[in-house]
Amino acid sequence: MLVLGRLSLTLALVFSLASVLFLALGTRWDRKDLIRNGYYAVYAFFLTTVVSSAVLLQAFLKKDFSFGYVTENSDASLSTFYRIAGFWAGQQGSFLLWLLLIAVVTVVIALLDLGKVQRLVAGAVMVLCATGAVFSALMVFNAASSPFAKAVPGTQPFGLNPLLLHPAMVLHPPALFIGYVGLSVPFAFAVSALLLGDAGKTWVKLSQKWAVFGWLALSLGIGLGAWWAYVVLSFGGYWGWDPVENTSLVPWLAATALLHSFTLYRTRGIFKHWALGLAAATFFFTILATWTTRTGLIQSVHAFEKNQLLVVILTSFLVAIAAVTVGLMAWRWRRFASHDEVESLLSRDFMYYVTDLLLTLFAVAVAFGTVVVPLAMNRTVGPTTYNAIAQPLGVVTLALIAICPLLAWRKTEGATLLRLLVLPAVFAAASVPLWLALGFGSSLRGMVGLVVCGFAAGAVVQFVLRSARTAAGKDGSLWSGLGRAFSGSRSRTAAYFVHFGMVLVVAGLIGSNVYKVEQSAIVRVKPGTTASVSGYTLTYRGMHNGTGPQSSTRAIATFDVSRGGVPAGVLEPRTDVYPVAGAAVRAVILGGWKQDLFVVADAPFDKTSSTIALRMVVFPLIRFVWLGSILLCVGAAVSLWPKARRQEQEAREVVAAEGDADGGLGRASA
Amino acid sequence: MNKKSRTRLLVATGFIVVVFVVGVVFLVQRQGAYYRQVSDLAAGQYNGKNVKVGGKVLNGTITRDTSGVHFTIQDLTGKPGTVKVTYAGQMPNTFNSGVDVVVVGKYASGDQTITADQLQTKCPSKYKAQATTPPTATQ
Repeated sequence: MLVLGRLSLTLALVFSLASVLFLALGTRWDRKDLIRNGYYAVYAFFLTTVVSSAVLLQAFLKKDFSFGYVTENSDASLSTFYRIAGFWAGQQGSFLLWLLLIAVVTVVIALLDLGKVQRLVAGAVMVLCATGAVFSALMVFNAASSPFAKAVPGTQPFGLNPLLLHPAMVLHPPALFIGYVGLSVPFAFAVSALLLGDAGKTWVKLSQKWAVFGWLALSLGIGLGAWWAYVVLSFGGYWGWDPVENTSLVPWLAATALLHSFTLYRTRGIFKHWALGLAAATFFFTILATWTTRTGLIQSVHAFEKNQLLVVILTSFLVAIAAVTVGLMAWRWRRFASHDEVESLLSRDFMYYVTDLLLTLFAVAVAFGTVVVPLAMNRTVGPTTYNAIAQPLGVVTLALIAICPLLAWRKTEGATLLRLLVLPAVFAAASVPLWLALGFGSSLRGMVGLVVCGFAAGAVVQFVLRSARTAAGKDGSLWSGLGRAFSGSRSRTAAYFVHFGMVLVVAGLIGSNVYKVEQSAIVRVKPGTTASVSGYTLTYRGMHNGTGPQSSTRAIATFDVSRGGVPAGVLEPRTDVYPVAGAAVRAVILGGWKQDLFVVADAPFDKTSSTIALRMVVFPLIRFVWLGSILLCVGAAVSLWPKARRQEQEAREVVAAEGDADGGLGRASA
Repeated sequence: MNKKSRTRLLVATGFIVVVFVVGVVFLVQRQGAYYRQVSDLAAGQYNGKNVKVGGKVLNGTITRDTSGVHFTIQDLTGKPGTVKVTYAGQMPNTFNSGVDVVVVGKYASGDQTITADQLQTKCPSKYKAQATTPPTATQ
């Protein structure tokens, strides 16, 4: 079976290279027959990656410990669910999963184009196949990166790291990889458009859905990772500005900017260089993420055995991406020139542009702090620095999110804007007493951010109402307009959800960062001993043993929790002791909309302990981070939902109607 | 008009970029910790500066009180050298004696102590290089 795995990977490399060759020649000479042959090679590439993935999957399912990779990432006692997760639990398998996803995306694009055989699509498929070739070459030529290595005889299966035994952690890596692969499609189309000198809208139209899809998966992946860190990792937070986290945030920021510059490109035909550059930057950052997390160059604490060949291949890949992009863009600079003059600073064009600029700068700053500072400056920056950058930038971006959709393209009259800003201003003012009542008056910085959140929430409401009024027309009722505002333009409906989700996320981030209250206490193991934090009192009741997953034994300490003298619940922080992996403390959370009480032991305890080092953290508004993240994903899903023909017609009518309206929301005819 | 609006765009862009870059460089210069080994600290040139060092937590040195946790770490490169660490933040799940940790914080050469504001143990990241031994309790 190992041989079959290796053979199919080698064939995947051969077929991906073959399709690159066919597609390059077919696109160059405009020969449909060659392009078709290239597509057939793509099918073969897809089939061979499916075979090699199936080989690895069946090895996990059948507990075939002759596979070195299966031995390292699984054991006989794991449930089927976690045995499947073993597939992507290590570096080698995750490369294979990535390759499989590239192949899936590539074959879908090729299949959809088999009828038309467009050069632009063929060029993009060629770029995707080249990416696939890099990943297959990595596994074929670098033995340490291959999931098909023989197990060292006599090695006991390692099992899965107990910290990873959580559904969020099973889904988090595939979600990230799906995101990364989805976001390589815009790059592929950008390169194809540059090669062909096709500065029209087609490449943007063809890659837009993939970009949204990739963005959705990446958002989901980051959200799941944060949730896992919060509930499992027990370090008292959900985001540590760790290189592994940062490198997934960077492509997300670039992709967010990309989606907005796609809108500018599609509807206004402006800032084309930005769209091309951001498509390339997003892809570059996804590979940079792999480079950072897998080469071990950044986090020396891991004491990785550095794998030279892996470093060489991935570094060359990064250099190649940058060189190809810069070279092609320099070559085609004039062809993609557009009238980027902004008529007025009070226009949607300009606000979109500033949003793109800020998101890009943010992405570059995080990448700089994560990669350049440690490698080139031999220094390191931590959460304090990242927060100092992220907090003001987050609030400014939120303000832009608020104002941007209310502005017209090209130019907005000051008086119109002022009228539109009344409602957001009322929301902002009304939110002040709310925040004060919730006890957030203690920090001016936090209050400023929260009031901006109130303002932005009002702006989203205004955005929806404006669309509803425009959709209803002169005689229609606001209600029917509201229905049409939601069923009309998909991307606009998506924007309602995503922007409102973003408001909630930022409010949650401010609440749980600025107003976090942390308290540690050493509790004597004697019933009735108390510890308190921020109005909560925890009373120790006793300790008992239990069993946890993966034949672990569990020591559970029971605390009664009361708030202002009123019982609020019971919390049972615990220590799990795994047979191989050892002891790990587990946090428990008493959740609520206003705040979470998070309790964890600072050190493992058992029945022989005389004290428990208890850490208690209160995270205000943290649930809004999760709720907002869900809304972000809902929004993205809405914009992906296929339209019925009738709805599409209606949407066009709405857009047309808006074009006639005063332009408060109207789209300029492109 | 065209020329004017183009200039305005460039000025606005330039202003935002400059403010941002200056801010980031300033923050990195001021807060960026020097990545050093424990044995590098003895010379005293990092007194009062932010440092990031990795080390192994020595057995029997962990003590706790309400001000946080105190322990001593040993150089990882094999050179002689230890430094005391005081840390009041959240403890990583896998912290224990014998674990490799990375601490970031201000170093005081007087009492040879790092007052850490970050403490990381070996991260449970899945992308470890080829493991040659089964994971230990610190994995």
